[in-house]
Amino acid sequence: MSEQQSVPRPSGPSGGSREGRPSGPGGGPSGPRRGKRQYFRKKKVCRFCVEKVDFIDYKKVEMLQPFVQERGKILPRRMTGTCSKHQRWLGVAVKRARNIALLPFATEL
Amino acid sequence: MADRLYDLIFICMPTTPEEEVAKIVSTLEQTASEHGGKVEKVERWGTRKMAYRVAKQREGLYVYLALHSTQGTLIKELERRLKVTDAVIKYMTVRLDEEIKRQQKLVAHREHRARRRPRKPAAAPAAAPPAAPAPASTPEQQAPAS
Repeated sequence: MSEQQSVPRPSGPSGGSREGRPSGPGGGPSGPRRGKRQYFRKKKVCRFCVEKVDFIDYKKVEMLQPFVQERGKILPRRMTGTCSKHQRWLGVAVKRARNIALLPFATEL
Repeated sequence: MADRLYDLIFICMPTTPEEEVAKIVSTLEQTASEHGGKVEKVERWGTRKMAYRVAKQREGLYVYLALHSTQGTLIKELERRLKVTDAVIKYMTVRLDEEIKRQQKLVAHREHRARRRPRKPAAAPAAAPPAAPAPASTPEQQAPAS
């Protein structure tokens, strides 16, 4: 998209280089490539902002589940694209859910 | 003291008979009313799997209460009672009124902005016609100048 055309910004903050360097299979969408590094990364959008969530309920486990790893870790913002405000609330909600055994602290083997 | 809103969840042993759960809930309601509070809502989630073992149990009977309280001592008393009850294996109280206040503020803010926004597109067409002749007039003004 527009990010592709305005390449001067070489890579995003951290992590960008990892995705940008290998000009391998999943590189640009199509067409011959010049020397410039071209990559396409979908901009992640905070899911809670899209849905306009003002309060993350700790009781709705299905809502929290996608932001928690299988073993119980809270996924970082850079993976989920959650905005800082909602990530903060999410953390609180997950911790509350853990307290009442709705979510695991860590799954036992 | 201001009216406060709490969530109270407690988990019973999965073997607890229905009557006993009802008894626990009714005693909690009674203590709430004694201390000037009020139980707004009682939800029984039934037996569900817990994320980790509590009191050597993998499942638990979840009961959820939403309550108003005007005194801090009420929560203390409710928690003491739950602690003493043998059938209850876990409980948690969360104070929510401040978060709800924040939420209402955000909603109000968004509505305020939403109310403003439609006015802008409405104002834009009104502003556009005066703006449209303006560029036409400027070349004329420039032409004599040059």
